[in-house]
Amino acid sequence: MRLQAAVLAAVCATPAVAIFTDEVNHIDFHHALLGAPSPDSTFFLKPSSASNASLLYTLSDRSILGAVNPRDGSLVWRHNISQSASPVGGAGLLRGLDGNNAVVGAAGDYISSWGAQDGKLIWDQQFDGGHVSDIELLEMEEATKSSDSRDTIALISGKSFGSVRRFDGDSGAVKWEYIDESGDVPFQVSSSPTEVFYISLQSGMLKSSKIKVTALDPVTGQQTRQLVLNSESDITGPESVLFVGANTASPLIVWADKSHKSLKINVIGTKQISSVVIDNTSDEEIRQITVHAPHKLNSLPHFLVHFKTGSGAWAEVYHVDLKSAAVTKAYQLPYLKGQSVVATSNIDANVYFTRVSDSEATVVSSASHGILGRWNVDASSPDLSQAAVAEVVAKGKSVAARTVVLRESGDWQLIRNDQIEWTRPEGLIEAVAAVWAEAEEKEDLAHELEVEGHDSIHGAYIHRVKRHLRDLQHLPEWVKDLPERIISSILADEVTNLDSFGVAKPVVVATRTGRVYALDTGRQGSVLWSVQASEKAWDVKDISARPGQVTIYLGDGGYVLVNSSTGASSYQPPVEATKLHSIANFMVPDGASLLRLGAVGIQENGSPATPFEDITGFLVTTSNNGRVLGWIESDNKTPVWEFVPPSGQKVLQATARPAHDPVASIGKVLGNRSVLYKYLSPNLVLVTAVNEKDHVAGFYLLDGVSGKVLHSVTQAGVDLAQPITSAMSENWFAYSFFGDAVGESSAKGYQLVISELYESSIPNDRGPLDAAGNYSSLHSSSTDSLPLPHVVSQSFMIAEPIAHMTVTQTRQGITTRQLVCTLPSSNSIVGIPRPVLDPRRPVDRDPTSSEAEEGLFRYMPFLDFDGKWYLTHARDVAGINDVLSRPTMLESTSLILAYGGDVFGTRATPSQAFDVLGKSFSKLQLVLTVVALTGGVIFLAPITRKKQVNLLWKAT
Amino acid sequence: MLLLFFALLVNLAAASLTINVPPSTHLPNPHVLPATTHATLTTSNQEHILSASLTRSSTLIFRNIPSGRPESYLLDIRSSEYVFAPYRVDVAADGSILGVWETFRGNPWENRGAEKYVVDVANKRTVNVIVEAKVLGRKNFYEERAKFSPLSLVKNPMILLAIVALVFTLGMPKLMENMDPEMRAEFEQQQRASPISGAGSAMAGGGGFDLAGWMAGTAPSPMANAEGATGSTGREAGGNARRRA
Repeated sequence: MRLQAAVLAAVCATPAVAIFTDEVNHIDFHHALLGAPSPDSTFFLKPSSASNASLLYTLSDRSILGAVNPRDGSLVWRHNISQSASPVGGAGLLRGLDGNNAVVGAAGDYISSWGAQDGKLIWDQQFDGGHVSDIELLEMEEATKSSDSRDTIALISGKSFGSVRRFDGDSGAVKWEYIDESGDVPFQVSSSPTEVFYISLQSGMLKSSKIKVTALDPVTGQQTRQLVLNSESDITGPESVLFVGANTASPLIVWADKSHKSLKINVIGTKQISSVVIDNTSDEEIRQITVHAPHKLNSLPHFLVHFKTGSGAWAEVYHVDLKSAAVTKAYQLPYLKGQSVVATSNIDANVYFTRVSDSEATVVSSASHGILGRWNVDASSPDLSQAAVAEVVAKGKSVAARTVVLRESGDWQLIRNDQIEWTRPEGLIEAVAAVWAEAEEKEDLAHELEVEGHDSIHGAYIHRVKRHLRDLQHLPEWVKDLPERIISSILADEVTNLDSFGVAKPVVVATRTGRVYALDTGRQGSVLWSVQASEKAWDVKDISARPGQVTIYLGDGGYVLVNSSTGASSYQPPVEATKLHSIANFMVPDGASLLRLGAVGIQENGSPATPFEDITGFLVTTSNNGRVLGWIESDNKTPVWEFVPPSGQKVLQATARPAHDPVASIGKVLGNRSVLYKYLSPNLVLVTAVNEKDHVAGFYLLDGVSGKVLHSVTQAGVDLAQPITSAMSENWFAYSFFGDAVGESSAKGYQLVISELYESSIPNDRGPLDAAGNYSSLHSSSTDSLPLPHVVSQSFMIAEPIAHMTVTQTRQGITTRQLVCTLPSSNSIVGIPRPVLDPRRPVDRDPTSSEAEEGLFRYMPFLDFDGKWYLTHARDVAGINDVLSRPTMLESTSLILAYGGDVFGTRATPSQAFDVLGKSFSKLQLVLTVVALTGGVIFLAPITRKKQVNLLWKAT
Repeated sequence: MLLLFFALLVNLAAASLTINVPPSTHLPNPHVLPATTHATLTTSNQEHILSASLTRSSTLIFRNIPSGRPESYLLDIRSSEYVFAPYRVDVAADGSILGVWETFRGNPWENRGAEKYVVDVANKRTVNVIVEAKVLGRKNFYEERAKFSPLSLVKNPMILLAIVALVFTLGMPKLMENMDPEMRAEFEQQQRASPISGAGSAMAGGGGFDLAGWMAGTAPSPMANAEGATGSTGREAGGNARRRA
C-alpha cells in the first residue's frame, strides 16, 4: 500500500499533460478505418426488432468486421477476425438477419458470431485444415428456442473434402456435420424451411463442371436427395456461376453461357433450367453480369440482372414463379453511359431496386417499372463505383433512399436522396508513408526586404514608403473585417487561431495501393484531395516534402512528384533500374526547420546506389547479411567501416537521433547546483542485434563516423517474436522488448530500458574532454580522441508491448520530451514524460532533498502508464506502424501523426501549453472585468474628489 | 493433418480457460466494458499471442491453449479504461491447466500471489477452469478544466480587499454622522495624528525602505549588512574562469 502511495505521489509531481474533454476532436482527429468493404458482405441491418434503427455492417478485405452508423459514418464497433497467423483463403464472409442481434463472420479458418449492437462475442470456432467457403443463417424458428438466436450453416472446404456443419446460435456447438468426400468442389449452401441445400461442382470432362445440389435434413443433417444439373457446357469453375440464392427469398442458381448470349436460371431443388436470351442493344461486349436479389425472407421472388459494358450499363428485372419454376422478364432499366451500380432493398415483402449513375439516383419497385424516386446526385468520380447497398423507406406514396456506394479505392460514401452525407476514406488503411506538406513560401515580402537591405538609405526609404502606400489598399477590407474578427475571437472555440503557428499543416499520405491523400490536420483530418498516382500497387520507400511539392521515392529508383496543393502527380523513371532497399535523406537543421540536401538510394546489400559527392556527410546502412556499414561521400563500393555483431547475432535495426533534435542545455543541473555534462554527439547510432538461438538481444551504441563501439549491453531471455523497438534523442536512448524469466529472481513481462549518456560520472567534470572545445571521432591521440560516455541505465517493467517508439520534437528543445510509444495490444499511443524515465531515480531509498529538488523520485520497477499520458485518450487507434513528430512555431507544441492502419493526429504539449492561451482563458470575462472596473472608477471618482476637497477645506 | 486436428480437438476440451469479470467496486456493471476488451496469454517463443475477445456474458474464454510442452503464461486482460490484475497461468504438457495465480509486475516470476485455481491431483479431469478477473482501477484520461463560478470570484483576496475598501468608503461617512459630536471630534483629532491619514502628503517623507532610491544606487541596500558579498562574487568569478579556459 505504501508503494502505491509513493507511485501516486510521484505521478502527482510530474506535470499533468492530459487533454481536456472539450479539446477532443478539436486538437486531435482520428480516422477509424476498416479497409475496403467487400460488396457481398456489406449490408444494412436492423439489429433489434424493437427499434427501426439500422446499422451498416461490413467485412473488409483486411478481415475487419465492423458496424458503421449510417447517420454520420462513425464506427460503432469493429473486430479483426483474421485470428490465426495462417493466410486468409479468399475474401471473408459476413451474414446477418433483420431483427436478429447477431452477425456471423468468417475469414479463413475462423468463424465467429458477434452481438450486432455491442460487438461482443457470442461464439467462435476455429478449424484446422480447411477454410470457410460459405455461411448462411437458418431462418426457421424453432418452437423451443427464443427467436433471438439463429443457427448458422457453414460450408468448410478442405483439401479433399467438403463439410457442412450446423452451429448452434447461442453456444456455437456443432449440431450435425455432413461430410462430402466425393472430391467435388464445395461451392455454396442455401437454406429453406424444410431443407438445407449443399451445392457443389462436380468436375466433368474438359474442365467443365456440373452443378450438384444435395438436399440435407436441417434437423439431422442426413442427405435426403441429390440432383445434378446439366450445365456442363457453360460452367468451368466456381467463378462462372453468377449467383446462388441464400434462402427462400430467391432460391435460384443463375449462370450465363460463355458467349453471354443467354442466362440460365434454376430454382434450387428442381431439375428444370430456364433459359432467357440476353437482349444486348448496345454494340459493346458485356464485361460483367451481376445478379441482385433480395435476401429478406418472404420477399417477392423478383431479381435484377445488371449488365455492364465497357462504357455503360443496363439492367433487366425478372419475376420467378416458384411453383412452376418459370422465369419471365418484367421490364428493363435503360442503358446509361458511365458508371452505374444497383442495390436491392426491402420494405416488408416488396422489393425495391436503387440505381446510382453518374448524375442521378433512382428507385424502382420490382413489380413495375414506374420510377418512385429520382434525385440528381453528382456521384461521378475518377474513383469508379464498384457496388452499392441501399435502404429504402416509404413516405406515403414517395420513397426516401439511403445508398452506400463502394468505390474501387475502398472509399465508400453514403448518399441520402440527393445529398452526399459522408465519405469514409478507407483507402487510408494501406498508408505506408506520410509527410507534412510544406506550403509554398510567401517569398514576396522576403524579397522586398532583401531589396531594401541592399539599397542605399534613401533608395530603401523611398522603397519602403511605396510599399506601405501599396499596402494601404488593403485597409478598407481590413477595417471591414475588424468587427467580425473581434466578435469571432471572443466567441470562437479556440481563443487564438493558431493556424499561422504551423499547427494546422496538411499531411500527404501515400498508400500501398498507389493512392495519395492529403489530410487537413487543422480540420479533423478531412481529405483535401486524393489521387491515384499509380495504377497498381507500388513499392514506396520514402517520402519527403519541399515547398509546394512532395517526392515519393519508389523501390525501383524512380520517384513520383506530387503537387501538395492540387495532387497533380508525375512519375520520373529511374536513370538505371536498381532494386533499392531504402532511401537515405540528407537533412541539416537550419534554425527550427530542416534543410534537405538530397537523397541516396540504398541497395539490399547496404551500399549506396550512387556516390553522393555533392553532399558533405557520411552514411550508416544495414546490409541484408546482418551487418552495419559506414560510408563516405566519394565511395559507394567499399565501406569505410563495418560493424559485425558477435557470432550468431544478426542486426535487426539501427536507430539514430532525429535530424531535428535541438538541445536546450548541454548539462544537467543537479540539486547542489553542480552540473553533469551531457554526452552530445550528432553521430550516434544505436544498433539492435539478436541471436535467434539463444534468445539474446544486444544493443550497441556506435559512433557513426568511425564505427567505434561506445557502449554495449546484452539482454538474455528476449522473445524475438515480439516487437523490439528503440528510440534515441539528445543524450539518451530507450528500448523495449519482452523478457522471459531466465532465473529464479527474474521477472517475466515487457521491459522498457532507458539509458542516459554523460561525459563523466563526476559533476562539474568533463572527463577526458576537460576543456576541449572540439574532439574528433578519428584521431586517436589521447587528448582529442572520442571518449567513451558514462552510461546510466534503468529498466522498467511495463504492462504492454511497445510496437514503435519515437520522441516528441519541439522548435528549440526547451520543452521536456515525451517518449511516444505505440501500444498495439490496447490500440493506443502513450507519451511517457521523460522526467518519469530518469535513470538517476534513487533505487531502494527515498530521494534526498537535493534529489527531490531535481525532480527525482524513488525508483519503482513497474511503470504504470497513467491515463493522462495517453495521447489517444479513450480512442481505439488500431494498426499503427509509424508515428511522426514535428515541431511547430510554438515551443510548447509538437505535432503527432500516426498511420499504418487508422490515421490519428494530435498536438502534444509535454510541458503543457505554456505559450498558448487555452480555452479556460475567457476574453469575455476579461472584457467584463475591465468594464466593471471602469464603472467602479466612474462611480467612485466624484465621491473621492468631493471627499478630498472637503478634507482640505474642513482641515482648518 | 486431420488426425492431428482431431487429436487437438480432444485436448481442447481439457484446456479451456474461462475468465469471468464479476461486478466490483471499480466496475459495478461489467457490461459497460467496451467490445475491444480482450485477454492475452503471453510467453516467449509463441507463434502468436493467444487472444480471447469479450463475450456477451462478460467472460473471456480461451479454448485453444496449445499442448506439447509445459508452459507458464502471463495472462493480461486489456481494456481501454479499466486496469486488471495480471495472472500467471501454468499449463502442463498435455494442455491442461495446472494453476492460476495472481502475479505482480516488477516482481520475480516465482513470486506468486493469491491462488485463483490449482489442479486437483487426485481428480485431474477438469474440463473448464473458471477464474475471476480482478479490476485494479480505472484510468482517467482527461484533465478537468477549472470552471468559472461567481463564488470563486468572491474568494479572490483582491476582490475581497476591494469590497472591504468600498464598504469603508461608503459606510464611514454614514457612521461618522451617527456618532455623537464629541466622539467625532476626538476621532478626527486621532485620525490627523496617525501616519496613515493624508497619505498623499506623507508619501515622500515616510520611513521604511526607499525602493526607487535603492534601485538608483543613492540609498544603501537594507540587505547590505546581511549578505556576504565575497561569497557570491567568488562563485561567479570561478565560473568565469572555467569558461575562459
